[in-house]
Formats: sequence, C-alpha cells, structure tokens
Amino acid sequence: MNAVEIKNLSKNFGAKQAVCGLDMTVPMGAIYGFIGENGSGKSTTEKMICGLIPASGGSIKLYGKDYTDIDVRARVGVLIESPGCFPGLTVWDNMMLQAANLSIPNAEKEVIKVLKTVRMEGAAGNKYKNCSLGMKQRVGIAMALLGDPTLLVLDEPLNGLDADGMRIMREVFTDIIKDGKRSIIVSSHLLGELQKVATHYGIIRHGKMICEMTSDELDASCRTYIALQADEMSKTKTLLGCKYSRVEEDEAGYIRVYDLTTPEDVVTYLYENGVTVTEIMTDKIGLEEYFIDLMKGGK
Amino acid sequence: MEVAVKFPKNNFGKRMKSMLKVDFRRMFKSRLFYILIACALLIPILMTVMMTMMDGSVSVDPQTGVETVIHGPENAWQSIGTLPTADGAAMGGMDVMAMCNINMMFMLVAVFICLFISDDFRSGYAKNLFTVRVKKGDYVISKNLAGFVCGALMLIAYFIGSVLGGAIAGLSFDLYGLTAVNLVMCMLSKIFLMPVFVSIFTLISVAAKQKTWLAVCGSLGGGMLLFMMVSMITPLGSTVLNVGLCIAGSAIFAFGLGAVSKQVLKKTSLV
Repeated sequence: MNAVEIKNLSKNFGAKQAVCGLDMTVPMGAIYGFIGENGSGKSTTEKMICGLIPASGGSIKLYGKDYTDIDVRARVGVLIESPGCFPGLTVWDNMMLQAANLSIPNAEKEVIKVLKTVRMEGAAGNKYKNCSLGMKQRVGIAMALLGDPTLLVLDEPLNGLDADGMRIMREVFTDIIKDGKRSIIVSSHLLGELQKVATHYGIIRHGKMICEMTSDELDASCRTYIALQADEMSKTKTLLGCKYSRVEEDEAGYIRVYDLTTPEDVVTYLYENGVTVTEIMTDKIGLEEYFIDLMKGGK
Repeated sequence: MEVAVKFPKNNFGKRMKSMLKVDFRRMFKSRLFYILIACALLIPILMTVMMTMMDGSVSVDPQTGVETVIHGPENAWQSIGTLPTADGAAMGGMDVMAMCNINMMFMLVAVFICLFISDDFRSGYAKNLFTVRVKKGDYVISKNLAGFVCGALMLIAYFIGSVLGGAIAGLSFDLYGLTAVNLVMCMLSKIFLMPVFVSIFTLISVAAKQKTWLAVCGSLGGGMLLFMMVSMITPLGSTVLNVGLCIAGSAIFAFGLGAVSKQVLKKTSLV
C-alpha cells in the first residue's frame, strides 16, 4: 500500500491548466522530495491532496482510501505557504488551538513536546506576529507535527530556517519515517538540503510529473565527472574539447569532463600535450544540477 | 511484509466537540467579542441617559427654520420593544431610540461573524482546519453556534444595559398591562430569531472568505432586508407563539442556508 497514490489528476483555473494528468506515488515510509520550477503546480497538487482546493479531474488515494475519507485526513499534518496562525495570539495559544482542532488528549504535554522538537519552547509566550520569519516557520512545522500525523505535506518548510533549524528538520524528518508507516511530502527549492533527507523524488513541470525515482536511482542517474585545474586553462579546455564530447567550465573555475574516463587518462593526455594538471578530482552532479539539466532537456 | 496503518474513527460527536472547542476558545480569547458585548451593554445606558437629559429640548434647522422637539424615552422598556400606552396606541416611533434599540444587535453581530470567519481564511488557519476536516458541515454548524451564542449574549447585555439605563435615568418600568412573562418571551423570541441572521451572515462570510470588507458590506445589506421584521415578530407583548415562530424560522434558515454554506465551502478553493 502506498501513502499517496494520484492518478490522472488535473486542475484548471479558468482557461489555465495548473495540473494536467499528474500521476504520483508516495510509498509508505518515504520522504518524498517534490521538485519543480515556480508555477509548475507543486503547491496546487499539495493543496488538492489536503482537500483545500477541489480537483478538476483524476483520483487521489491516501493509504488506499479516497482522500475524502474522514479518518485518514484527520491524520494529515500540513504546512503550505505559511503557517496558519492567528497573529494576535501567542505561539502557545495558537498551538493549543491546533491541539483542540486535532482533539489531542494531554494537549499541553504534546504541545510542549513539539515546541521542544523545533526548539521553540522558550518563545511559547511570544505573540505570533512578533516572531521572526524563521521562528514562524518553526511554529508552522510544530503545528504540522502535532497529533503524530501519518502523512505530512510540507511546502517549502525550510524557507527562513537557519543552519541549525535545517539540521533539526533533517533529524525530525528522518525520525518520523523510522517506523515505515508515516510519509512526508516535502517541496523545496533548497535542493541541496532536500537531497540530504529525501528517499524518493518527483519532478513536476508544467503540471505534469516528468519523472519519479528513488534516491538510489537518482544517484545512479547522476553523472560522474572529472574536475580539474591546470597551468594553462584556456589551452586545457581546447585540448580536452578536442578529445572529449562534453567539456564545461564551472562557476568555481574548474574544467569538467563528463565523459566516461579516468583521471589518469586525462592527466596523461594533457601531459603529453604540454599541460601540467595542478588539481584533479572525481565527483558526481548533485540533485540541483540534475534538476537544472532535466529542465533544460538534458539527460 | 506490508506495514498496516490503523486510523482511529472520527465520529460526528468527536468532530463537533473539537470544532466547537476551537471556535469557542477563539471567541473567548477575541478582543472583538468583549468590545461588542461592552458596546451592547453601554449603548442603551448612554442612549437612555442622554435622551432623557435632552428631553424637551428644541433644535432649529438653520436653513428652513423648522423646530424639532427632542422626545426622551418615557419608559425603560422602550429600547426593548414597543409598548401599548394607556389609550391603546403604541409608544415610541422612528426616533433615535427606535433606531438604536435592541434590534440593532442583529446587525452588530454581523461584524463579529464576518471578522471571525474571514480571520480563519486571512490567517491561513483554514488550511489547518480543512486539511483534517473533510465534512465542511462541522465548520458551518460550529460557526453558526458561536455566532448565535455571541448574538444571544449581546442581546442579554443590551437588556441589562436598558434596565440599568432606565434606573439611572429614573424612567418608569411600567409594562402597561403586559406581564414579566411577555418580557421574557420577547427576549426569548429575539434570542431564537438570532440564528436567522447568523446563518445569513455565515453564508456571506464563507462566500467572501478573506475579503472582510465584502463580507461586512454584504452582511449588513443582507441583514437590512430582514431587519424591519424583527420588531414585528418580537414585540414586547410576545407570547409562546412568537417564540415558536422564531424557533421555526431559525431552524429553516439555519438548515437551509447552512446547507448552502457547506456547498460553497465544498465547491470553492479554501485558500
């Protein structure tokens, strides 16, 4: 059984088609990185999963049941766009309201627990409107975590978080899926951070899922490259360009060779042509580069 | 091996209990609620005392030269409803007292409901609510109940204010042949008529969502259509029949408009 199973989902806003024929599968126990450009339909899909906007067509199943099932939806935690808090109330009052909404027994204990998780226990008495962006984001995550949700839908949860906040979130996410029953859908533009925790990926473009893969599959798809620096960079680039099919210079000033070869081959070839290699390493492209490549139509 | 996930049952009682808990907790933490109750309490006191002090004074229109004599209230119950006088005529007309009487609370409650509901959508709290609440009816019922309680408390506060204002101004508490039972029935019929207005305001607010100004303008406009019937249906000489009529009317409006509100929430975007 999958945590989320979407078939042929579509959503039209007037003449504009925000999501068209989207298929998506989130397995149980997965941290599903939902990636796409701005306006690609990520948030719209997430809102439809949470029942916040009606779908124009298609089906959504949560844990094998229709997404309108009362019992399943009662166990969905959400953070979409902004945390839903009343600005005039304190963090504590907002959390208690959400605890009441979720009919949590021992609400106070549970609220303290999640506030501690996101390191916000000291700011519980602050009015929500006086909290900083990062603090607000932490409160939003704490609200989503309340009531031990089976499915978490988080839209840009890492926005505004400092390094420590991001580390905490990684720990929290990993902890949540430990039992293999709960799943998390995370959409984020911070792909480097996402790559550290995601077990599955879904890449959406123009409202359509263009690929879904596991982190292992992504790892296998991400090409290995050789990055090097030499004493004569322009000559090196020209020489390498003559022998290898794809040679590029990256932002850090390294020349990258994407073809299947070994560093020894490259060094020997350059040495034979009078170029001395000063630095050489083998690396893999990350999720960010893979995504950019995919959007450009590369493979 | 497949991992089994069990979801606890969420019956109607459990869902309503949590929804009501959220709304009443919010209501009693809301500053607006206390401001409105304070207004309901103070308006009759100020009006009664001020109008009594101005009783008999004459104002002259500088353009036409027409003189207007200001009449103060003669009876403490005038702000609650029309009283028959000794000669059989109705006491009180379309003056300031008649415009600012207890029936004004039916319009004032619109402000509370519109802000109460639009706050859910403006703050984004609606996302938290509706993600875990598939049945939109729970939300509508809860909002109607919260609005009803607020409206009823405002009516009671106005009644208390009228009694206090009458006592401070030294007005007569004579009921001109009516009894205290009529007075109680009058208040009960007003309280039970409140859901008619609350359901209208809820529907308009739910449709307007985060557009508070639209909800307030629409509610005041919509409420105006029914405002004049309040004094006719709930006179000071009300009986059980008036109370029954109000309950029946409220039930029809609450269920009818409640179903429409539910459909509006179901068919439209909640964010």
